[in-house]
Amino acid sequence: MAANFTLDSNPDSYFSLDDILASQEKVPCTFNTQVSNMGYMDQSTTDTNIVSGTKLELPFWLAKSLDRGSRSIINIDTPKNYKEVYRQIFTADPNVVDLHKLGPYFYLFGGKLISLHLPDNDDIASVLLKTFQGRFRRIMDGSQNTLNVDLTSQVSLLDEQERLLFSAGQQGLHDFQKWETRESEKLSTSTMVANHRKRKRFVLSSKSS
Amino acid sequence: MDPSEVEFLAERELVKVIPNFTHDKIYLISGDVGPFSAGLPLPVPLWLAVNLKQRQKCRFVAPDWMDIDVLKEKKQEEADSRFFTPMPSPHYMEITQLLLQWGTDDIPKADEIRTLVKDIWDLRIAKLRSSIDVFVKSGESHAKLNYLTLMEINTVRLFLTKALNHMHQLKSVTSRDTTNSNSQAF
Repeated sequence: MAANFTLDSNPDSYFSLDDILASQEKVPCTFNTQVSNMGYMDQSTTDTNIVSGTKLELPFWLAKSLDRGSRSIINIDTPKNYKEVYRQIFTADPNVVDLHKLGPYFYLFGGKLISLHLPDNDDIASVLLKTFQGRFRRIMDGSQNTLNVDLTSQVSLLDEQERLLFSAGQQGLHDFQKWETRESEKLSTSTMVANHRKRKRFVLSSKSS
Repeated sequence: MDPSEVEFLAERELVKVIPNFTHDKIYLISGDVGPFSAGLPLPVPLWLAVNLKQRQKCRFVAPDWMDIDVLKEKKQEEADSRFFTPMPSPHYMEITQLLLQWGTDDIPKADEIRTLVKDIWDLRIAKLRSSIDVFVKSGESHAKLNYLTLMEINTVRLFLTKALNHMHQLKSVTSRDTTNSNSQAF
């Protein structure tokens, strides 16, 4: 049931779990002003206040709300994975990159970053799209070609959204395969009924013993 | 859409059978069938053909295209062409599947036909996949493919729609951003 929920959920939705998880990725920030009594957020000092100039990694949702307004409390820097060096790697060969390691929500978080109006916004946006276009063929072939093969090594390189895509492709393949082997016309017990019977038998056997 | 639903739609296609009984016209919601006279071939919907065959009331007549030579030619044509070629029937895969499942004895060289149809299918799916790839790489928002059959579309439907949704998200993020920065510049 839970899998279905994430499959259908729209990442723009307020209740989307993926969206919530993506918005807690960390963004490097520099404080412009002193913030009183928040020193505990910086593990490296024992001060009670955050002094101006402190560099901290804040979750995206916090950074975004602090960044608002003309006299901003913080300055946001581009996260490492979206910087020029990484962008060059993505452009060189998007297929070899382990997007899951670089942030399980690479695309979703990248999309959120763009709303922060960083100086290299345009480059980030184009890299996101290009990376997906470059990786698309591999995801498609991987998901549509292999049947009953261990795919863990292939899937582990994929970003969360790509994984959903991958499982959609697999489902299409499996459905067709089932039809082709005439599996789909056979009547089978629903899993619920099968489990129910087992439970009944279990109860009966435990009573008699 | 499940492949079995596609098969259901395919079952409305007409195929020829030779009944071994005589019966008046039967009137069905989808149209009239018959009259049946023993030994005379007549077209009936696929579902009825399968049903009659299961009760051993008829023999199948293979459709014109279900022939080794025709299929070999079709396969060659499909392999030579860069684009999709028109198929002899919009439901060629389903019809082959059903006719060969129940009527192996009525259709000559059933095994070879099965292999040929599967070969054509594989060729077309490979072609479909490379066209999808070109389409995604080009970043266009629409494309037109001729002569695809329903079953072929159905195998990539879930995957393709999701992929395009994802692309749309990535693109709309970009465009939303440029409109925002424009409005700020004003």
